[in-house]
Parts: sequence; structure tokens; C-alpha cells
Amino acid sequence: MNATRKYLFVVLLIALFALVVAACAQPAAAPAGGEKVVEVTKVVEVTKIVEVKKEVEASSEEVIPEGSVVIDFWHAFGGGRKLLIERMVADYNYTHPGTYVRVENKGSYRDTLNAAILAAQQGNPPHIVQIFEIGSQLALDSGIFAPFEDSAGDFQPDDLIEGVANYYKFDGKFYSMPWNSSNPILYYNKDIFKAAGLDPEKPPETFEEMLDVCETITSSGAAKNCISWPLHGWFFEQWMANMGAELANNENGRAARATEVYLTGDAAKEIVTWWKEMYDKGYYAYSGKLEDWDGADAIFVSGQAAMEITSTSDVVNRQNDAAANGFELGTGYLPYPASSERMGVIVGGASMWLADGNPPEEMQAAADFITWFTNTENAIRWHKATGYFPIRKSSVAVLEGENWFEQNPAYRAAFDQLLNTKPVRATQGAVIGAFPEVRTIIEQAVEKVLAGQASVDDALAEAKAQADKAIEEYNKSVE
Amino acid sequence: MSTAKFKGKWIPWLFLLPTLVILLVFLYYPVIQTFRLSFYRVAFLGLRTKFAGLDNYINLAQDSGYHHTVWVTIVIAAAVVVVGLAASLAIAMLANQKIRGASVYRILLIWPFALSPPVAGIVFLFMFSPGFGVVNYLTELVIGTELNWLGNPRLAITLIIMASVWKNLGYNIVFYLAALQNVNTEVLEAASIDGANNWQRFRKVTFALLSPMTFFLLITNITYSFFDIFGMVDILTKGGPLDATNVMIYNLYRDAFEYYKTGLASAQSVILFLLVVILTMIQFRTSGRQVHYGG
Repeated sequence: MNATRKYLFVVLLIALFALVVAACAQPAAAPAGGEKVVEVTKVVEVTKIVEVKKEVEASSEEVIPEGSVVIDFWHAFGGGRKLLIERMVADYNYTHPGTYVRVENKGSYRDTLNAAILAAQQGNPPHIVQIFEIGSQLALDSGIFAPFEDSAGDFQPDDLIEGVANYYKFDGKFYSMPWNSSNPILYYNKDIFKAAGLDPEKPPETFEEMLDVCETITSSGAAKNCISWPLHGWFFEQWMANMGAELANNENGRAARATEVYLTGDAAKEIVTWWKEMYDKGYYAYSGKLEDWDGADAIFVSGQAAMEITSTSDVVNRQNDAAANGFELGTGYLPYPASSERMGVIVGGASMWLADGNPPEEMQAAADFITWFTNTENAIRWHKATGYFPIRKSSVAVLEGENWFEQNPAYRAAFDQLLNTKPVRATQGAVIGAFPEVRTIIEQAVEKVLAGQASVDDALAEAKAQADKAIEEYNKSVE
Repeated sequence: MSTAKFKGKWIPWLFLLPTLVILLVFLYYPVIQTFRLSFYRVAFLGLRTKFAGLDNYINLAQDSGYHHTVWVTIVIAAAVVVVGLAASLAIAMLANQKIRGASVYRILLIWPFALSPPVAGIVFLFMFSPGFGVVNYLTELVIGTELNWLGNPRLAITLIIMASVWKNLGYNIVFYLAALQNVNTEVLEAASIDGANNWQRFRKVTFALLSPMTFFLLITNITYSFFDIFGMVDILTKGGPLDATNVMIYNLYRDAFEYYKTGLASAQSVILFLLVVILTMIQFRTSGRQVHYGG
């Protein structure tokens, strides 16, 4: 019997090793960022993509023309956006003989960045990598990317919309090329507004108006809750910016490396206090889970709440939802506290980075592709199909020329909000190496306050201590 | 008795080679790396490393958040193992009865095992979501209130435990059914003749004869509730609310792949590994002694 037991023990021990390794290698299912990541529907999308991919593979095997310079382009989009990217890349390959761009989806934003770092470590980096905005400092520090501006020819940086250019310019230089850009806006259900006796053309603009409107909506019984948005640090960051408050020291980490965050300032307290009041009065509803975009969508689309705050890149999705559920959709600005001036919003999304360490002619070809991919026409195409901003002034001029915003009023609020943003450090967005972790720390502080487990002051003070420690640890690891 | 022998000494090694290579590359090398990295401060998934001695371990020892994580892991694991084994033994006993359509019931009972934890997680998410979940619809109808399954710490833990138990039911039932069918009916009859009642027959005979299987399932269920629970937590709660379901495996994943603290995560990996090894060894020392292998 002893032998059996020994044998069993050895087998189990090996199984344990395997489990540790396997568990650690689990792919990320949960990227964060200012971006919408569809989780539940992901499964459905994945199956769809697999089907489409099978069709594509069956019809035409990928044939790389002989003698072409092959460029690898990694991104984090799935579903319709992935197909659009593939179509745009195919166009490029047809019209630019001598270069062949090979496009690949690497999972979430985090997966894509992780994959790029690992590939670079093995000496085989892809040429172009899409990296989410709060990964910018990480990408800079990693040292595996070359400044885009140095390799790019004429990418007309002056043509970029100011808000977009401001975010991605570090020390006055474009280390990467801005691509998909968005920010948060207010979506609302005009039918519920009418049922509550409110003016369906006047969404609330300030924190105070929001409380009044919510009182009317919930007491009239037009909807169970008033508003939803994901419990996500992105919104907190946006409100800080909207109030003109910087999130991190050293001018939001842009004059020098950030070493602390301003979570105990008046702006931070005002935001969380309002958030708590909205929650306690039953106006604000969320799914109970952090960073749950789908949960907030479901609450709004099902009519449980009259309003939702989420990304502008959801304009197309929300319009479809409204049509499917038979209600009229309105859009408005991100609300702000009346005590402060509305400064505007930070650009969220991602940019395209050029990896270092490839032969010069390949890096040149990659830079040329990036320039083409973000030119006037392609920026328009990308905007119309997704709702992301047209990032070029010349694209906006064309869109206005064809009365695009008049015909599609939902895009209007999104766009005006960005154009009206005042270019100060606060709205430029913070640059923090440990941003992904800082964001979670903020979310947990808000969660604690909402659950009544800590006062606003205590929760924020604790969060500041944790965040500062995370930043210190990060800074130590890159020095 | 004659045994076949290989001609040369190297031929058995040749046959073993593929397995050894796979073990070496995918198992031993990463494990050794994990141990090594736990003593380093690592930036960008290993792009830069700096020796840090025991810093990572000291940080963890002083971090009250990490203590909470260990505690949550133990609570959830204990509940998943105890409830899971009890429920599956009970169901296996029922399914073992000779009734019409027994094989159909058995197949249906094994079903959940065919799902991976993330898929099972999504099924539960759909059922328990506050906005559109069918469970809240029912509680509203029956008891007139909705429960915040994902936002209330206690309910969230309960949900994770329920989902994890359900997911592993099929696996446990298969093994218990197989073991039950091997229980010698003569022993049971003998017990009846000696005047044992139903409970005594179960407790003193069946359960005793099942002990090797229970022991095996105990260990596989512990590893399941320490490691495989990741998918469930990731889909259902993301470790929340307020870290209520932030189990060790999830915490270390987040530190490694979301916050890029590879060194710290490696140290957590080592701790997790040692914890499970110690638990397993204790079981071999204690309950392992009571296992009755029969025959």
C-alpha cells in the first residue's frame, strides 16, 4: 500500500506543478483602459470571428508576394472593428506593392502589450503595436519602441486635433501615432425623460442638475434607477480633468516622472461625495462589479436607468440598441460640478507604436503604413464605422462639408465636447508608470465608500497611500 | 514470469525523451524561473531584473491586503471542498440506485464537468446579473426583493462557492459512482445480517470503502479550488467586491499580468505552491492513514 501512496503523491505533486504553471499562463480576459471591452458578448463574437476567419482561410490562403517587405501589425480589436482593420490593411497591400502588412489580433490591450514585450525579449518584435493610452509610460520605459516621429516622414502632426495631439505628445515629441480616440459622454433615453415630464432635449449638465433630474425620474416612477456607468477609474480621472484638477504631481507626470497622486484634494473629494449621494439615493446603479462595461450597458439599454455615461466609441452600438429596444436616444456632455468651470475631457483610447530593433527598411515601411492608416480619408472611414473621433482637422472639414454631424446628431456631442476642451495639464491626462494599478486602487476606494465601509476622506487617504507606494515601486523598478 | 527487456540501455530513454523534453520545457524550467524571479525586482515581464533578496516575501508578509487574500482563499477552498464532496456523494448515492433511466440521469449529472470554468462562470453571470439575471427576477417574484449578488461581499463569496461546486459536481460524481459500483454488496449484506441500520451501513461500510476515492477527490478538489477557480473569479467578480473574492491565484495573476510586478507575483506563486504542497502532505500524514484500500 505504501508504494501506491508514494506513487499517488508523486503524480499529485507533478499535477500541482502543472497547475501552477497553467494557471499563471491563463490569458487575460479583463483588460482595462478607457475603452469598451465586451466580455459576455465576447464569446459570441469570438465564435463569429472564428467562422469568418474560416471562410477567409477557405477562400484565399494568405499569399505574401515574393520580395515584399513584411510588416507585422498587432492590435487589440475584435468583432466588427477587427474586420474593418483587416479590410483597410488589405486595401493597403493591394495599392502598395513591395510592402505586405500582416495584421494580427493579440487579445486585449494588456495581452497585446504583454505579447509585444515578450516578443521583443526574444529578439523578434512585431513592427507595429497598438498600446492603450495609460500604457504609454510603460511603453516608453520598456525601451523596446523607437520614437515614431524619428522614422515617420510627413505625418502632418499639425493637422491632428489638439486634444488628441496633446495626450500623445511627450516632451513635445510624438513617440507614437494617435489612433483610436474617444472620451466619455452622456447617453439618455428620451422616452423616459418624456414619461417623467422632463424636457427630452435638455439633459442635465451639472452634478446638481443631475441630482434634481434624478429625483424627478425616480419619484415619477419612469425608471427604477436614474443613471448607470461602470465603476471604473476612467470616469474619476475624467471628472478630475473636467474640474481642472491634475491627478498626479510634476504637472500630471508630464514635466517629470510622477511620484504621487492627488487623491486627497478637494476635487477628488467632491467627485466621490457626489457619487456616494447618487448611489445612496438610489439614482446611480451599477452591476456590483468593477470595470463592468456590459453591466452598465445592460442597465441602461433595458430601461432600468434613464441615462448612461460611457465611451463615445459606443455611439454606433447605442444607436443600434435604441433602435432594437424602441426608444429614442439622446447624447449630452459629461456632467461637471457647478462649483468649477468645465475644462473638458481627456482623450482615451490607444496609439500605434513602432518597435525598435527591426531592419531600417522595415521600420521605414512600417512608419509609412502608420501614416497612411491615419491619413485624412482613413480617419473618416474609421470614425464613421466605429464612432471613434476623426483625429484630423482635415477629416473634420470633410465630414462637415458633407453635413455628417447634422445627419448624425448623436456624434455631435461627442465631438463638440472634445473640441471645447481647454488644453491644460489636467485635460492632457496624467502619465503614470503604474497607472493600471493606480486605477484599480481608485476604483476600490470608491467601492468602499459606496458600500459604506469607509468615509470619503478615509478611503481616499488610504488609496493615496497605496497608489503612492505602487508608483514608488514602479519607479524603483525602472531606474 | 518473464519480462520483456530492451536491448540497449538508451532505448527506454529514447522513448521517454518526448515526455522528458515537454516536462523540462513547460514544467521544470518555468517553475525554476518562478523560484528565481521571486528574489528579483522585475520590470516589464523580465525585460529588466534586479536582485532584491527577500524583499518580495517581506512585502507580502507585511501587506494586510495579502493576508486577506490568503484568508479568502482558505475560506473559499474549504467551502468548495466540503460542500462539493458532500453534495456529489449524496447525488452519486441517488444516481447509483437501480431505477429506470438511471444511465440518462447519470449522463445529465456529469454534464457540468464538460464546461470550462470561464464558460460556467458566464452561465452563472447571466443568471445572477443584477440588471437582467433570471435569479433576481425570481427572487423579486417570490420574496419581493432583488439581491445584489455581485455587489455584496457575502453574496459574492456565496456565488463563487456555488458556481465552483456546481462546476466540479460532474467530476466528483463520476468518480464516486465508479467507486460505489465497486463496493462489494456481500459486505453490505453481512452488515445487514449483523443488524446494522441504513445509516450504519453507509457510515461504517460504504463510506469506509469509499475512503480511497474520497481521499483522491479531496486532493484534486483542493487543487481545483486553489487554482482552477481563477476562471470563475475572473468572469464573475474580478476579485471584488472589496476584494471579497480576491483569491491568491487571481491576486497573483493581476500583479503579474496587469500591474507588471512579476517578481512579487513569482513570490506569491511560490507561496501558493508551498501552501498546497504542505496541505497535501498533511493529508497524507493524517487522513491518508485512515484510508482503507480494501482487499
